[in-house]
Amino acid sequence: MPPKGGNRRKFAPGLASEPSSTPQTPTLIESLSYQHIPKPFKNPNYIKNINRRTKNLKAVLTQERERERVERERRRQEREEEINAGRLSRDAPEEEIPTYTSIEAAPSILPQKHYCDITGLEAPYTDPATGLRYHDKSVYELIKTFNPSTAKEYLVARGVNPIVK
Amino acid sequence: MAEQLNIIYLPTPTLPVPAGPDSYDEHRGKETPLIIDNGATNLRYGFATSAEPHTGPNVIAKFKERKSNKQLLIFGEGVEMDSGARAQARNPWEGDVLLNFDALENALDHAFIQLGIDTDAVAHPVLMTERLCSPLHSRALTSELMFEQYSVPSLAYCVDSVMSFYHNNLPATSNPFVSDGLVVSFNTASTSVIPVMSGKGIFSHAKRIPWGTSQASEYLLKRIQLKYPNFPTRVTSTHTTWMLQSLCEFSPDYSALLRELKDPIKLRASERVLQFPFNAPMEVEKTEEELMRIAERRKEQGKKLQEMAAAKRIEKLLQKENDLQYLTDLREGRGKEGKKEWTAKLQSEGFENDAALDAAIKKLDDNLKRSRKKEVDGDDPEPAEEPSFPLLDTPDADEGLKEKRKQKLLKAGFEARARARREKEREKEEREADEQREAEEREENPQGWADRLRREHETTMGRIKERTRRKVALTDRKSAVAQARMKNIASLAADDRVPKKRRKGGGEDMFGADDADWAIYRKINIAAVSSDEEDDLARLGLVEQKLLAHDPTFTHAQTYHSMTTQRSALLLAMRPQYEEGDVEGNTRIHLNTERWRVCEAWFQPSMAGVDSAGLGEVLQNVLARFTDTEKERLVKNVFITGAPSQLPGLIPRLRSTLRPILRPDMQLEIVRASNPSLDAWKGMADFAQTSDFPSVGVSKAEYEEWGGERIRRWWGGNWNSSFVA
Repeated sequence: MPPKGGNRRKFAPGLASEPSSTPQTPTLIESLSYQHIPKPFKNPNYIKNINRRTKNLKAVLTQERERERVERERRRQEREEEINAGRLSRDAPEEEIPTYTSIEAAPSILPQKHYCDITGLEAPYTDPATGLRYHDKSVYELIKTFNPSTAKEYLVARGVNPIVK
Repeated sequence: MAEQLNIIYLPTPTLPVPAGPDSYDEHRGKETPLIIDNGATNLRYGFATSAEPHTGPNVIAKFKERKSNKQLLIFGEGVEMDSGARAQARNPWEGDVLLNFDALENALDHAFIQLGIDTDAVAHPVLMTERLCSPLHSRALTSELMFEQYSVPSLAYCVDSVMSFYHNNLPATSNPFVSDGLVVSFNTASTSVIPVMSGKGIFSHAKRIPWGTSQASEYLLKRIQLKYPNFPTRVTSTHTTWMLQSLCEFSPDYSALLRELKDPIKLRASERVLQFPFNAPMEVEKTEEELMRIAERRKEQGKKLQEMAAAKRIEKLLQKENDLQYLTDLREGRGKEGKKEWTAKLQSEGFENDAALDAAIKKLDDNLKRSRKKEVDGDDPEPAEEPSFPLLDTPDADEGLKEKRKQKLLKAGFEARARARREKEREKEEREADEQREAEEREENPQGWADRLRREHETTMGRIKERTRRKVALTDRKSAVAQARMKNIASLAADDRVPKKRRKGGGEDMFGADDADWAIYRKINIAAVSSDEEDDLARLGLVEQKLLAHDPTFTHAQTYHSMTTQRSALLLAMRPQYEEGDVEGNTRIHLNTERWRVCEAWFQPSMAGVDSAGLGEVLQNVLARFTDTEKERLVKNVFITGAPSQLPGLIPRLRSTLRPILRPDMQLEIVRASNPSLDAWKGMADFAQTSDFPSVGVSKAEYEEWGGERIRRWWGGNWNSSFVA
């Protein structure tokens, strides 16, 4: 029976050879890494809530809107109470609390200027078949050669979504 | 025309140099305020006493290096460098909202390491930036991070643009900050307008447009992709951000600019050409010797093949001769044997009777003679003898009928072939005569000949154009052509094609008796490409060839092909065409109208599909909520800040937008921050060193009591959920 040690040596030859190789110079990317640098200023006792997922933008904004609505209700109620109690006159202006959504600019009310989808110049004409705006005859000739998907891409760049869902 | 183009090459990315951490000694134990300008593009951080902050792109990547299998964490510029890092790049911001707190934590780690902090906690009061009216969720998580993870003693939030305004309107020392102004802040994913009255930011009247550099660079990318759908290299948003920063500008009057650019020459003059890296095609230059050697080799190969073919032919000849010999021997042997044996032998050879054997022998003989002649002459002689048809002249007898029929067919075939040969010869003679005549005409009267050909050219082109017009008109259901077609179809299918009387008497529709009736299907069937068109095109080709060869004034530009594929001068100026093989030319991007179009979107976001008012309109709305006296105070100091405000042409554009909506006697002054990217940080640093700073922050105790969302209300910070303490 062959000694057991022999088998072990056969199965793990690779590990033995590693330490003999010279240490390689770190690449640039490795020298930029700070994974292994000690960070003493971090509090080791702080356990992050691992279950907390990074919320996406839509969820955050909806949550904000809800909170804002609740808050406004509360303030309105308080105001009512104060007015009833006579502490505040009804004419006193309601304080506006700016929030992320209320700050957003309103849609434009100015008439939209038409610009050519292809060249960017002024576009007095619109192609009825595709809906693209164009500057003159020669651009129209070019539009006629487009296939439907190209025309749709131009429209999407303008923000007009031609797909009816 | 390379010298006329101003070709710009994409910048080659420079490698970042890993910098060692700062020395912490000067701040150890001193509690100098730590200023962090947490921007969506760049993170700026430093101590309040430093003159300049550290900056770095606000992006981290946590990934495993492929080769060394080590876990790496990279911040800032290094992320762009490595493809593995780029794939795992994370940005703490999503547009305008701080969402990814792991990324923020890693970024802050890097910041603190760089500052050399080696104590147990970050023992400095911190002043950080927030977005205008930032969502409470973001603020709560940031506060949690700062207080719990880094244990800062106090934390204050501010709005970056107001601090930049503060820096540029610094009051004299120990005087309160009471400046007025209208702050226009250009950020990565939004642009905001904030009025500041008497040193207080009036956030309830502020407005934010969801358009910033990230949207602008995405829009530019989309425009480039539409303009160059088959571009060989991939254009990324980093490229377009660079293009936006270096090539795009605002125009003070966009409509006037567009009217000017209608002219193709001005369009070409206004363009900037970007050369992307390309692979030059490898051209192996063959020297004369090499060419000769290759030609020789080819000749030798040809000769070898010829020899092989000749050898095979000789072999076949021999084989045939042997066969012939064998068969003739067989025939001669006929006489020696009896009839029965003879027929048996024939059958075994595969011949039915004597005649078949004779015919076979004759065929082989002829074949041999012909091939032997070919070897000698090298050319196929026409069968000189006329095969004879003896039986044809005899009257119909019963036995030889089959033979006679066979011979009739053979004769007919032979005569038909002879006729065809004669026709071909006649045609050839005619054609030669034609060409001769034309050559004579050309020499005698070149002008007349050219005129005649040109007229023919034009009429043929006219016919082709007419046909294409008709085809296009047919697709429109209501056009006259389409209706005429329907009328034709209806009349063909009508019941009264056959008059009633004849129908009763069993009359039939006589359509098709006359050959010309079928011509109507040409008009009805639009799917088939009519042969007329092909004929026309072929004739056009011939005429053009002749004209090109002999008429010096007829150029390639006038041929049908180039006239149909020609693009207008305007389109050519928009997007110049390069030859197929011109690899360098085909990896160029020409930007002409896009340069201004992208910046115009700040003032008209609807151009890019964003349903929002533009900067001009928003300014108007914001100003409208103030009284005239207040307005006067605000517009005397319109302050623009933020890195994108460095785009050229912004100030003249704002002036021409604001001037018309203000009363003529109101003074309008537009000022840009002295250092638009860094002034926010500098303003924060200035403020942090005043005595007011400690009173605006939230201390750790207050955080533990109130939670992360409540902050103190002060002139530079947001108001939502804040309390005045």
